[in-house]
Amino acid sequence: MANVNGAVVAKALVHVAKKVEENKDYLCELDGEVGDGDHGVSMTIGMRAVTRAMKSLDDSVTPAEVFQAAADAYADEVGATIGPLYEAAFAAAAASAGDKGQLNEIADWADIYDAMAKSIQVLGKAERGDKTMLDSFFPAVDHIQALADKGGPLVDALSSTAKAALDAAIATRDLVAKKGRASRLGDRAIGYQDAGATSLAIVLQGFADGIAGA
Amino acid sequence: MKKLINDPFDVVDEMFEGFISANDHIIKPVGKRSIARLESPIAGKVGIVVGGGSGHLPAFAGYVGKGMADGAAFGNIFASPPSKPVVEATVAVNGGAGVMYTYGNYQGDCINFDKAQDQCREMGIPVQSVVLNDDVLSAPKDQASKRRGIGGLFLVWHVAGAKAEQMASLDEVVAATQKANNNTRTVGVGLSSCIVPANGQPTFSLADDEMEIGLGIHGEPGVKRVKARGIDSVIDEIMESILADLDYKGSDVALLVNGLGGSPAEELYVVYRRVKQICDANKINIRFKHVGEQVTALEMAGVSVSLMRLDTELHDLITNAVVDTCMYKKL
Repeated sequence: MANVNGAVVAKALVHVAKKVEENKDYLCELDGEVGDGDHGVSMTIGMRAVTRAMKSLDDSVTPAEVFQAAADAYADEVGATIGPLYEAAFAAAAASAGDKGQLNEIADWADIYDAMAKSIQVLGKAERGDKTMLDSFFPAVDHIQALADKGGPLVDALSSTAKAALDAAIATRDLVAKKGRASRLGDRAIGYQDAGATSLAIVLQGFADGIAGA
Repeated sequence: MKKLINDPFDVVDEMFEGFISANDHIIKPVGKRSIARLESPIAGKVGIVVGGGSGHLPAFAGYVGKGMADGAAFGNIFASPPSKPVVEATVAVNGGAGVMYTYGNYQGDCINFDKAQDQCREMGIPVQSVVLNDDVLSAPKDQASKRRGIGGLFLVWHVAGAKAEQMASLDEVVAATQKANNNTRTVGVGLSSCIVPANGQPTFSLADDEMEIGLGIHGEPGVKRVKARGIDSVIDEIMESILADLDYKGSDVALLVNGLGGSPAEELYVVYRRVKQICDANKINIRFKHVGEQVTALEMAGVSVSLMRLDTELHDLITNAVVDTCMYKKL
């Protein structure tokens, strides 16, 4: 693994975009069970905009500038609920990265993921257990914060954090939706895995793989 | 998937290009995904900005023109627009009397329109919002603020547009629009799914012999699936839900029988016939009616019925309204 500087973060985001687009149909299918079936489409539109933004950055960019460019891409092109939520999350990541030139420590990413999840919570007014993307994000934050205290290789930490997010996304099957379109279904939403929680796990997996491969 | 499109990810941009060109005698583009009436800004008139996801035409952008909306923001298919095009439309239609946003109650629309509202207020433009929630079956009555907005917007926006054309103040336009919304109820029934182009698959599946009552205009599941049967008894059920939610007995009403995009006009008149019989039986006087496709869900087959209870003000506003918009006209 190279130093995780801005250029590496930008490459990781392009990889995230690729993973999201590969899962477009799967995410639409999950969303179609209880929502309006377009989650994979909205995420793909957002991540295509992110990819375009990443390609216009030069190599001397800081991690914070990369995250802010991703936030701006979501702000301008996505809309829906997911647009402002990811915009807020990437802007929070930028604020958390601050003027750091590299994000080599597990603690850097623990802080970034924590800031991202909290910004989503504030804007989306959702809590743990509401069957939203936070139900995979918060368990992932718990996981990486514990690893930050313990120490170890960053790549392994990011990878096991993504796995924790995916396990938590699968566990959303047991929850009743409290937010978004599925919230109008009551118990009918039980048994279906939340699309937003799943795409968030895919995003974290994309970061882990993208940084490992850089 | 067989559609009149090119790359599914280009549908909205290509539709927008065609829409502004075909309606260039009524509207002008004011951004990549935003439009305004040609005459805007109109000095002293409250500007009305509408919007939401694409896939519902004539709603929402089709109602920009005289007597309804002054500006609109286009989102992707079934996805709220970001705040940016809403801000662009707001700036374009602000004639000094302020701007009202009115849109359906969906989380994405609320977040993005609120953000635009904050931004425009910071710029010194007075903005107020009226969020529509006419869909009876999307939440129980004691949680009406969770209900989503569907076909009823067509009736509510007659009132909003007419009030604004009278050069009423922003507070007065907001009050009339809110009153119209409070008196409007809608229930729909879906017969088939629709295909979001970039998705390529039907959003949900409904067996050949099934209908879904309470289905949303994005293919969100409804409250119950019933066996397909003669439509009269389905309309009876729909009207029962509407009449149980608000006391319409003996009232004057405005009525919309709305096609969802994939049901022929002939069938909509069969539905209207039954709705009229039920109104007659309940001594409900239809003072304004419209039968046609207004708030659609791509190619979904089905219908929704909307009733607005009219007091004198709402009655006069809607019956005297003169509307000349991109996709709807009323003389």
